[in-house]
Amino acid sequence: MSTTTLRLRSAPGFRVDAAGLLPSALTALSPAEIGRIVLPAGNERCEAGELFDISRTEGDGTDRAALVIEGDVAWLDRLGAHLAEGRIDVHGSSGSHTGFRMAGGELRIDDDTGDFTGCQMSGGRLTVGGNSGDFTAGPLPGDMEGMTGGTLTIQGNTGTRLGDRMRRGVVLVCGDAGECAASRLVAGTIGIAGKLAPHFGYGMRRGTLLLVQAPASLPPTFTAGGKGFDVFWSLLVRSLAAEIAPFSTLKASSLPRRFTGDLAVDGRGELLLVG
Amino acid sequence: MSEKRTMQINDTLIDDTFAEAFPMKATRLVITAHTPVWANHAAQSLTGFATSVIGCGCEAGIERELGPHETPDGRPGVAVLLFAVSTKELAKQVERRVGQCVLTCPTTAVFSGIDPATSRAPLSDNAPLGSSLRFFGDGWQISKMLGETRYWRVPVMDGEFVAEESTVTVKAVGGGNLLLLATDTDAALRVAESAVHAMRRLPNVIMPFPGGVVRSGSKVGSKYAAAPASTNDAFCPTLIGLSPKSELDAEVGCVLEIVIDGLTDSDVGAAMTAGITAAAGLGRAGGVLRISAGNYGGKLGPYHFHLRELAAGLDGRRA
Repeated sequence: MSTTTLRLRSAPGFRVDAAGLLPSALTALSPAEIGRIVLPAGNERCEAGELFDISRTEGDGTDRAALVIEGDVAWLDRLGAHLAEGRIDVHGSSGSHTGFRMAGGELRIDDDTGDFTGCQMSGGRLTVGGNSGDFTAGPLPGDMEGMTGGTLTIQGNTGTRLGDRMRRGVVLVCGDAGECAASRLVAGTIGIAGKLAPHFGYGMRRGTLLLVQAPASLPPTFTAGGKGFDVFWSLLVRSLAAEIAPFSTLKASSLPRRFTGDLAVDGRGELLLVG
Repeated sequence: MSEKRTMQINDTLIDDTFAEAFPMKATRLVITAHTPVWANHAAQSLTGFATSVIGCGCEAGIERELGPHETPDGRPGVAVLLFAVSTKELAKQVERRVGQCVLTCPTTAVFSGIDPATSRAPLSDNAPLGSSLRFFGDGWQISKMLGETRYWRVPVMDGEFVAEESTVTVKAVGGGNLLLLATDTDAALRVAESAVHAMRRLPNVIMPFPGGVVRSGSKVGSKYAAAPASTNDAFCPTLIGLSPKSELDAEVGCVLEIVIDGLTDSDVGAAMTAGITAAAGLGRAGGVLRISAGNYGGKLGPYHFHLRELAAGLDGRRA
């Protein structure tokens, strides 16, 4: 399958919506046609050819279409929105709503992403090499569900409200998480290797919050969760074996401490403290 | 009768006949536990009273023991196979047996054991596993998606009972069989045990009767209207000279049958070949006079396992 490469020519002075740049759709177009794609930019519009030098490489040895963006495009929002197949690689940063409602395929950002990264994603794999902004893996304001599937890994830190209203899927953060991580979590798994800001697990109904470092204190609405969850822990550890460190290095034989909550709501969520 | 005796191995006659087998629905469950002992307790209990679909609802047996590296949770386990006449009946048996025999057994967990990506048997509908047993949790149960698999975690007194949401079922084959005709009881038991031992080394098959062996081989129908099946008088040694259907001569003192269920017809055929090899290996000197098979004239079951074809690769000679 072919690889389409967009090399940044010059950054515009405004934000641009990249939802129309999906690898499978671009495969059917010539570089000249891609250059004429009109991208929304607030009240403005611009053609892709004004922003990027576009080239095409045929036959990369895989059976899926690929899009490579070379350059720092932190002004490029909604990159990979509704991505269902193929692969997008960004050699730099991307803007807000990266991977918005993506359902499949692979989206890899080498550096940082903006707010609402992985917002309402339902499948596929989103990898962030740097930091992500607020409301990562959450819902749009007013919506009932955040992330509902797929895997989101973040090598750096995240902002506030990580995994808000998340229902399914896996989010792994190597760095720190801002306030209200896993707030209103319905289900799914969130792993955080770094430090936690206050109010984590606020309104958490079900799901798993896996903490590699023990927090300074636990929320008062969490209670001791007992033992006897060895089988589940073994399954969880095995499911993370191919993910990023330190989650890939967890041992099935070393059972974490378990707490359950948030008792102010359903109370069937669990905090697993590895450290 | 003599025209059926077409092949000899070690002077044991291989009848020119075939075993007739039927389509069934099957699943494999992987039962794990803290120790192999408890995994076996659960597996033995689950596969108990599962000799024949006629009276038990399903036919089930232990396929093999599994090492920790072979199970989803890294604990020792046991693979069991269950066969039923329909997916609906199979689902009913899975729910009932897992609910009573695995959920209740200390430290156990249960998983679907057939990989749809590699199964050689045609796939059928999934049967509920944890999705029906979860209600035992009385609202305290938790579901968990890990990858593409959903698990249910049901609180129990030793911690949690973990069960995969559903189990993959396949279109399978049931009713392969061998009839072992021997000089006396000792010889018949010896050859049957040897054949079952050889068959149990193979994957994807079970021999559902006690010890893998059945002495009450049956035929379809009866002189009594209420009985769907009755004794196979053609192979009863006490009916030599009495039953007009008798296929035995005075030399035969005991007949035992091995019934084989497998995930595919080639699995059943391979097991029958292994059984014939083991039985014929004892030979006439070991009291094994003939090897035969049961069928219904070929009109009921679509799978026909011809003994002489299965034994063709063995070191035999024509009689």
